[in-house]
Amino acid sequence: MNNDLLWVEKYRPKKIEDIVGNEEAKSCFVEWLKSKRRSKKAVLLYGPPGVGKTALVNAAAKEFEFSIIEMNASDTRSEKAINEVAKPATSYIALDSFSAANKGKGNILFLDEVDGIAGNEDRGGVGAIIKIVEEARVPVVMAANDPDVDKLRPLKKVCLLIRFQQIRIPLIIALLQKICLLERVKADFEPLEHIAQNSKGDVRSAINDLQSLSEENHVLTLQDTMTLSSRNKDISMAETLTGFFSAKSVAEASSLLSRSSVDYDEFIMSVSDNLPRRYGDPDELAAAYDFVSQADIFRGRIGTEHWFLLKYFFNALSRAAAVAPESYKPFQFISPPIRIITLFWTKGKRTMLDSICGKIGAQCHVSHSIAKHDFVPFVKIMLQNQKSSPLPSWFKFTPEEVDFLTKMNKY
Amino acid sequence: MAVNEEALMWVEKYRPKNLNEVVDLHDIVESLKAFMKKPKTMPHLMFAGIPGTGKTTLALCIAHELFGPEWRSFTLELNASDERGIDTVRERVKDFSRYSRSGFGNVPFALIILDECDQMTGPAQTALRRIMETSSRTSRFILICNQSSKIIEPIQSRCAIFRFSRLDKQAMKEQLQCIAKKENVNLLPEAAEKIVDYSEGDLRHAINALQTASAYKEGVVDEKTVLLVIGEASPMQVQKMIRKALFGDFIEARKTMYEIMGSYGFSGSEIIRQIQREIFKMSDLTPEQKADLSNVIGEYDYRLTQGANSDIQLSALLAQFAKFGKAIGETY
Repeated sequence: MNNDLLWVEKYRPKKIEDIVGNEEAKSCFVEWLKSKRRSKKAVLLYGPPGVGKTALVNAAAKEFEFSIIEMNASDTRSEKAINEVAKPATSYIALDSFSAANKGKGNILFLDEVDGIAGNEDRGGVGAIIKIVEEARVPVVMAANDPDVDKLRPLKKVCLLIRFQQIRIPLIIALLQKICLLERVKADFEPLEHIAQNSKGDVRSAINDLQSLSEENHVLTLQDTMTLSSRNKDISMAETLTGFFSAKSVAEASSLLSRSSVDYDEFIMSVSDNLPRRYGDPDELAAAYDFVSQADIFRGRIGTEHWFLLKYFFNALSRAAAVAPESYKPFQFISPPIRIITLFWTKGKRTMLDSICGKIGAQCHVSHSIAKHDFVPFVKIMLQNQKSSPLPSWFKFTPEEVDFLTKMNKY
Repeated sequence: MAVNEEALMWVEKYRPKNLNEVVDLHDIVESLKAFMKKPKTMPHLMFAGIPGTGKTTLALCIAHELFGPEWRSFTLELNASDERGIDTVRERVKDFSRYSRSGFGNVPFALIILDECDQMTGPAQTALRRIMETSSRTSRFILICNQSSKIIEPIQSRCAIFRFSRLDKQAMKEQLQCIAKKENVNLLPEAAEKIVDYSEGDLRHAINALQTASAYKEGVVDEKTVLLVIGEASPMQVQKMIRKALFGDFIEARKTMYEIMGSYGFSGSEIIRQIQREIFKMSDLTPEQKADLSNVIGEYDYRLTQGANSDIQLSALLAQFAKFGKAIGETY
């Protein structure tokens, strides 16, 4: 065997029976693949990463002599791209099966990581997939981590859903032991158990961890695996904030941010919330806020796709942490009402305010914006003070709109 | 003063219907009257000036003068900031000029009043210019904007431009008293003074404040009520927020900011616009200080368009105010 290979590649299951766990899902999939008249033409395998979804498709194809035409998240999946690759694969099946080289039963179209279909770039992607499923004369297999992604909802209707679960710890330990034997790694039960537990049922990451920890000297102790837990441990929001605000330097804040796995958006808002408690001096506060403001600008530019800009976001944010390291005193974190406001101004309420402004505009010849600024505050007070005001009927406000206006400043 | 008895908002009820009823703006009214004598000679018009100085009122007066009671059939009122894109404007203008082609009596065109033109982007204005050209046989435009400089040259050159300046304080007070009398409300002189001060030449704002104040107490509007009304309406809150920030009380200032966002549903850029307006009303700042603050506001107004969270940018702006307040120290 080639020693340069990643162990995950080297020990990739060759046969269905090599795949650990998820017995039910496996037999369900095999049954679907073998059957002559399939109830559904497509199948969606879903579950957490590293539990054997892709491995199952590959192993099954091999066993039942299908060839696989695969697309995964790294390919763009706009409608056009999907049609280019997948369409011929589904419709020219007959030609293919006559060829001498291919004695198999034909093709499987395999779309991996379908939940990775991005909104903008892959416009129309989901629709195209559904169309292919409908027209396909070969089995279509899809895999996804998170089957609840909204945009995949239409897919779920045309697919047989097969759920994969996390692999149970003892199964992972057994697999790791087997690999240790083959790789001649001396390892006790405890460190392997630790790796297995730490993997949270993800076989792929467990094997990767085993390799990185034991490849060098072929011995694995519990001590070795200790670095593992600290490496993968999530740093909570409060911990990150404490570390962030007490950082002595930009570098310290920056390295903390790269280790933490808190949500960026939540974190920058929490920083903004707590900044005035950290910096009492207006000069320091203004300087720190300037950096937060710049970080927010980078966040705006990142949007949903330009994630390569994330480092600038972090850099700017880190500088806000170390504007005046000597003035740091521990303080209690707060969360101001901005969250409540965001919750309060739901789409429904915004639509209602918009509708009110439109009605004011129609009667008083003003734009929505002037209605909002120069009329709504006054009309609101008038309605609050005159219970039986004739104004609502003149503006043609609905009772809900009147109710909304009179309660307006009590969010 | 003519009264529109059906209207319940006083700004509508007492809005002049024809040019003779307009009490101020003599020069503009005289020029417009000349057009009314020979409607065929009327060019496209552009009314530019700050809010509440009578631009829309005069545009509607022209509609009344040209078409009489049936004016609505021959007039299309559009708001550039409300319409979604120039295509909507184009469609509506096209549809409208198709159905009202014949004009009315000796008026050979229909009237299109397009408000808040300066909110339109450059490309949209270029498209508008084209629309004006293609429909010029059947329609006349009245373009209304706050700043004519924001309108592209080719459009300006196609219009007769009228500039509306801030209304005279005395004239505004007279207007308010006149309305109060008709509504059987005793408007005390010092209350009128306060309203006019606060409205800064915006008559619409002044009349709205008067009507709201009169809803508080039957028959009389005094200074106390006026202060109460304008304190509750949002701009006063904005000024409160600015002052707190300048005094270095950042946390309180931010709290007020959240209140304004929460109570009125204002967006970040709307609040920044109000901050800009309020700064220039503050009499205790020198012109230089106002200019400096304005620079800072401008920076954050731009950042707001680039960033992801408006409350972060607004907070950062308030922090700049606190720094500014500290720097000018003794004054505050």
